[in-house]
Amino acid sequence: MVSVLKRGLAIITLLIIGYWLAQGLAGVPFGQDKMLVGQYYLDHVKQQTGAVNAVTAIVVNYRGFDTLGEVTVLFIASTGVAALLWGKRRKRTAKTEGSIVLTTGTRLLAPFVMLFGAYIFIHGHLTPGGGFPGGATIATAFLLMYMAFTVYEIPHRAFEKTEGLVGMGYVIVGLIGLAIGGYFLFDWIWQTWGWGHNNIGRLFSGGFIPVIYTIIGIKVGTELSGIIDNMLKEEVSE
Amino acid sequence: MSVLAAIGEILVLIGTFFYFLSALGLIRMPDVYNRMQTSTKSATLGSLGVIVGTGIWAVGKGHSLAWIVQTIAVAGFLLLTNPISAHALIRAAYKRGIPLWHGSVVDKYAEHLAGKTEANKTSEEETPEAEGVSA
Repeated sequence: MVSVLKRGLAIITLLIIGYWLAQGLAGVPFGQDKMLVGQYYLDHVKQQTGAVNAVTAIVVNYRGFDTLGEVTVLFIASTGVAALLWGKRRKRTAKTEGSIVLTTGTRLLAPFVMLFGAYIFIHGHLTPGGGFPGGATIATAFLLMYMAFTVYEIPHRAFEKTEGLVGMGYVIVGLIGLAIGGYFLFDWIWQTWGWGHNNIGRLFSGGFIPVIYTIIGIKVGTELSGIIDNMLKEEVSE
Repeated sequence: MSVLAAIGEILVLIGTFFYFLSALGLIRMPDVYNRMQTSTKSATLGSLGVIVGTGIWAVGKGHSLAWIVQTIAVAGFLLLTNPISAHALIRAAYKRGIPLWHGSVVDKYAEHLAGKTEANKTSEEETPEAEGVSA
C-alpha cells in the first residue's frame, strides 16, 4: 500500500516536472536558425583550425579548457576508484573460463577493436568521433579480454606510466602554446607554423587537434581499462 | 550505374524482409533457444543485406567508392561478432538452467554433462589414477 502511494506520488511529481520543462521549452521555436556563436564557428572553422569536423575543432581548439577539465574528471574518477579499492590484497577470482569460441573470437577481434579505436582518435578532425570515443573503444578491447579470459591482466606499471605521461603531454602542448602564442592551448602548429595549410580535409592538417586527440585517446583508453581492472578484482582472504 | 543502384535496392529489400522474419521469430518461437536461433541467424543475414546493399546503392547513385569499402568492413565485423555473441548468450542461458521447450526430444549436452560428473565420481571413488578417460 505504501509502495503504491510512493509510486503514485513519484509519477505525479515527475509529470509536474515534465509539464514545467515542456512549458519552458514550448516558447523555443523548433528548427529555426538561432545561431549566434554557432554561425561564427561554422564560417571560420576551416581557416582558423584546419579541421573539417567542427565539433572536434570547437571541443579541442576553441574551448580546449573544457576538454582539459573532462580529462581531469576522468583521471579523478579513475584515481578515486583505485583509491577506494586500494590497500587490500585483491585478485581476479573468475571461476569459469569462457568457451573456446568466445576466447578464440576475442583473441582474433581484440586487435581489430584496438585498431578501430586508434582510427577513431587519429581521424578526429576529419570524421565523427575523436579522443573520447576512440579511447572508450580501446578500453572495450581490454574489457573483452578481461571477460573472456580468467587470468588476463593489464600491464599495470606501463599503463599507469602511460596515463600520467600523456596527461602531462596535453598540458605541455598547452604550455608550448602559452610560450609561443600568448595563451594556454594556443594552436601553435596551425597558427604559427602554418603546417598543413594547403591540405585541409586530409590526414595531415587540423593543427594540433590530431596530436591532442591521440593524447586524449590513449589517456581515456588506459584510464577506463584501469577502472575495469579495479572493478573486476575481488578481495582474497589470505 | 543504375544497375548497381537496383542491385543495392533489392539487397536492402531482402535484408529488411529478413529483419521482419527475425522479429517474427522472436514472437513466434516457444523458448529462448529457438528464439535465439531464428533471431540471430536472420538478423545477421538481414544486416548483411542491408549494409552491403546500402554501399552498392550509394555507389550506384554516384557517391564515392569508399561507401562500399566501409560497408563491407562493417558487414565483415558484424558477420564475425554476431555468432560469437549469440553463442555466448545461449551458453549462458543454458548454464543458468533455463529449460528447453517442453516439446524438445533430446538434450545431448545434459547427458554429456551428467556422464562427465558420473565418470569423475566413479574415477574418484574407485580408481583415482584414471582421470578423464571416459570423457
